Amino acid sequence: MQWELNTDKPVYLQLVEQIQAGIISGIYKPGDKLPSVRDLAIKATVSPNTMQRAMTELERDGLVYANRTSGRFITSDEELIGKLRKQYITQVIQEFLDKMDLLGVNLEETISYINMISDNNKK
Amino acid sequence: MSVILECRSLTKKYGSTTALSDLNLSLERGRIVGLLGPNGSGKTTLIKLINGLLVPSSGTIKINGFEPGVESKKIVSYLPEKTYLPDWMKVSDAINFFKDFFADFDEKKAYEMLDHLHLDSSKRLKALSKGTKEKVQLILVMSRKADLYCLDEPIGGVDPAARDYILNTIITNYNENACVIISTHLIADIENVLDEVIFIKEGYLQLHASVDEIREKEGKSIDSLFREVFRC
Amino acid sequence: MLRKLLKHELYATGKYLLPIYGITLILSLVNRLVINVDIFNGALNFIPVFMMIAYVISIIASLFVTFIFMIVRFYKNLMSDEGYLMFTLPVKPTQLVNSKLITSIIWTIVSVITICLSLLLLIATPERLNDFKNALDEIFYVFKASFGKTYALVIIEFILMIISSLFQSILLIYVSIAVGHLFNGHRVLGSFVAYFVISTAVQILITLLLLIVASISGSNIETMEAIPHMVFPFSIIVSLLLSTAYYSATSYIFSRKLNLE
Repeated sequence: MQWELNTDKPVYLQLVEQIQAGIISGIYKPGDKLPSVRDLAIKATVSPNTMQRAMTELERDGLVYANRTSGRFITSDEELIGKLRKQYITQVIQEFLDKMDLLGVNLEETISYINMISDNNKK
Repeated sequence: MSVILECRSLTKKYGSTTALSDLNLSLERGRIVGLLGPNGSGKTTLIKLINGLLVPSSGTIKINGFEPGVESKKIVSYLPEKTYLPDWMKVSDAINFFKDFFADFDEKKAYEMLDHLHLDSSKRLKALSKGTKEKVQLILVMSRKADLYCLDEPIGGVDPAARDYILNTIITNYNENACVIISTHLIADIENVLDEVIFIKEGYLQLHASVDEIREKEGKSIDSLFREVFRC
Repeated sequence: MLRKLLKHELYATGKYLLPIYGITLILSLVNRLVINVDIFNGALNFIPVFMMIAYVISIIASLFVTFIFMIVRFYKNLMSDEGYLMFTLPVKPTQLVNSKLITSIIWTIVSVITICLSLLLLIATPERLNDFKNALDEIFYVFKASFGKTYALVIIEFILMIISSLFQSILLIYVSIAVGHLFNGHRVLGSFVAYFVISTAVQILITLLLLIVASISGSNIETMEAIPHMVFPFSIIVSLLLSTAYYSATSYIFSRKLNLE
């Protein structure tokens, strides 16, 4: 998994988002074991403390659970993942629509553009 | 969390110039701390004071409760800007030297890291490039299980690959019992690795805060904040 | 920790000095052979001359290089970038000075022994050794005759004087380097200046002291044998006092005034 961190949001939040994205897109499958905090921190080049904080957030949301002896795992709760997926998609599209709105493009025009571009992509 | 470094009204003057003014600072174990400031702001002076290479003009500095001296030097691992290993040494000589003087030096770990770089320990330091020499020093310093690591400009003037190697080495060797101080003026390169930052400007402490706190409150990166604070 | 410092100090310096001593000894053996087998006639005549020159150079090098090397080592290891390592070791600054001092004394003694040994290798034959022994006996005899029962004391005083002045001259160099490092920028130059200022000041002080002593004691030195018993202890005491002063000043600078570039 590729980590891309920008600079204006707290790093741990970005880590949470990217792991969420990984779960939604299936890079991390339900029940998968996660690498250790240190290894994840090395991959993402962040402080292990920050990665730890991201894990704590994910645990709080129930997306990740820790097993005292064998490490951390992605949740097997498909319903929860489904909910997260819905939430995530809604958020991305909402952001997109807000941008279009800022550009003065109304919903209908936006949809027609979406149709046009997806037709072009099919060809 | 226990305090590893405590500075009280720390001041260092060279003749009539003041390099560090009335610095009060307390650092805890388990944190990776960026010591940030432009060149000549007092970063190196602070690091030298911690390592007993300078004596304060006034104020105190304590490392795990000890004033800089034999006891503090046992638990502080210092990477200066200089290449301080004698040229005539083989890499293995340098390892033996560290093994003899530092009880917390992990020889096995040092050789593992050297192997990882495909570095032959029978080579003389004279035969190594400047960049490789710096990596050897970093390996020696990080192979100690110290309580406080002081890395003075470890990423100054290195290429991106070397920078990644250095940052990886620091994270790999992180342990929650130790504090790592990294001094640099290249903030953008390392800000994700840091838990806390200290801004020093013209010998004065400007800011000491956690990175996430700054991003949350200010909504901007440490790098942008740095540019604001130190705008010329 | 002093033991470890000494071990590394001897290792770092022995790497360079032992080969020089070795070469001196080998050259003295070679020269002995060259002198004894007189086969170099005519054009080959340059060989013995060349070997002899090489030998003399190696003898001078043993003494001179030892001396210079000890100074350079002190400066480079403590005052240059290497100082960043040495002064962050968990040792006291005095232990650093001690290790350098002891190592310098050891190598000075080794270099003198090397030269004596090499002269023996060059010229020793049973008859010559016998001559040498006779000459020594004669010297002892003269000593006994001039100093009576205290001749052994004179010899001991003489040796102590040499050792104490050796300490003094090494420590004078150390303190000069330590003082020189306080000058920003021109540190090597500063060391030379410090050396000349300190040694001149000390010379003047001693001369004054001697004049005072002489004027107080007048000219009541009656016998020849009394002279060494006055001069040697005086010189030993002065050397020891100066050594202590230089040593304390060096340690003080290293622990309180250190400022590496």
